[in-house]
Amino acid sequence: MSGVLPPAFAKLEPFVAHWAADSTAERAAARDMADAEACAAFLTAGLPYAAKALDYLDTKGFAGFDVADERLMRLMLGLAHAGLATEILGPDEAKHALDRPAMKITRAPADAAPAA
Amino acid sequence: MESPVNIHSQPYAPPSQDELAWLGTRPIPAAPFYDPAWYADEIAAIFKRDWLQIGHVCELAEPDSFIRRELEFARVSLLIMRGADGEIRAFHNACTHRGTQLVTDVSEGRARKLSCKYHFWTFANDGQLLSAPDFERFNLKKSDCALRQVHCDVIAGLIFVNLRKGPVQGLRDWLGALAPQLENLPLAAATHFTEYVYDIDANWKLTYDNFQENYHLRFIHTRTGAMGIGPDNPFGYPEEYGFFGPHRTQTIWMNPQPSFAPFQQLGLERAAQALIERGMSPHGTIKYLALFPNVFLYGSAQQLFNHIVFPIGPEKSRGVIRMYWSGADASPSERFAREFSAMNMRDVHSEDRAVILAGQKGLASGALEHINYQTQESLCRHLFNEVEARVLAWRSEQSGAGA
Repeated sequence: MSGVLPPAFAKLEPFVAHWAADSTAERAAARDMADAEACAAFLTAGLPYAAKALDYLDTKGFAGFDVADERLMRLMLGLAHAGLATEILGPDEAKHALDRPAMKITRAPADAAPAA
Repeated sequence: MESPVNIHSQPYAPPSQDELAWLGTRPIPAAPFYDPAWYADEIAAIFKRDWLQIGHVCELAEPDSFIRRELEFARVSLLIMRGADGEIRAFHNACTHRGTQLVTDVSEGRARKLSCKYHFWTFANDGQLLSAPDFERFNLKKSDCALRQVHCDVIAGLIFVNLRKGPVQGLRDWLGALAPQLENLPLAAATHFTEYVYDIDANWKLTYDNFQENYHLRFIHTRTGAMGIGPDNPFGYPEEYGFFGPHRTQTIWMNPQPSFAPFQQLGLERAAQALIERGMSPHGTIKYLALFPNVFLYGSAQQLFNHIVFPIGPEKSRGVIRMYWSGADASPSERFAREFSAMNMRDVHSEDRAVILAGQKGLASGALEHINYQTQESLCRHLFNEVEARVLAWRSEQSGAGA
């Protein structure tokens, strides 16, 4: 195990580089850059872990986060974007990706208050 | 999981033709959606005369904080500042020496005083001129050189300004029966928000109208709007409409038995859990408030969103959309739920923007003399009626003044 993520979630490490971006706008951009297969692959891998990961992070609380926890938090936020692409938009996602960048994200609470 | 909002008895029945007949059924002229002369009169008759929402008090949480707002339609830059006394005031961003803008490079900050970089006239954040180099060479009193103040008031945490010079109708009177409805929302307690902004080559009314009718829901939001339609309400029409002077509301109908995908369900459950932990209910009736001329508020604790459509030109507008939150993210689950919810909303609005653009192109071609609203587009008709009355009154005033 590399320690990129907490050990229980190590299977999600291949998705960290693309999806665990620092800000909401960057995570939205990661979705725009991913094709439908990449979004679906992330959701397929992440869905079985999502509730457990959030429970784990809730138990630790922001103040108790280490670097791997912080990365897992950002990965779960990235999963929110991939989940919308795959579950909700589905076949419409490719067309959506052309229009969506016009909706420019300027602020989000996750950016204003980075976890400790 | 049941629908997190409005639970209704079935079967659904849309608001009737009879109760909306007073709005008329005439075709609506198309030219006001692209004509530069009509647009100029709208700006003069409405946007320079009526109360406009431009922010929220959470942007001015600290004493000496300020925000800058550019109102391109009026070529006005405003500084909205919270003084040391806690009062929120709005001023033109223009030095009273020779008009130079005081703040040009930031949109928010903190300052007890602001200095003009040109000749260093310095103003307190209550607008008073504090000092000016070699001031004795002017034949002026400092007390006559304060920043030019703009009418500013706050209701339910929302900051409004009015550009009209001279006395204006009070904000509470202007909002009428909607003022207490706004105050019943958890708006004033908001401390954070998610914001996204879009520019669009479309007239402000065309942009705004899209967000006050549900007729398009099943066609444009086929996948993203599934919660808003059902077998007995296939168009997702509202429960009821309300009209309050120039303002209007609709009570949103939601499918009482929606089906959720697994990850979507996780997002909704975490959002509901976070609200309950804050002592707020994830259930309740959602009123969608449309404040004349250009503001929407979608009122529920779960999705407290605010959408302002600013006119930029006859065929250009800008939407500023915020989802307000009470308190910083209290838990990782709440952070997750907020991001999921806001990005879900952004997906819906992205679909809207694309189709509005196509509408403007069709109208601007001049192909149509009129457009048509059906009964369940009555909020659009009401907006146009209100706009038209003001523009015609303005034109009458101007022709009378010139006589």
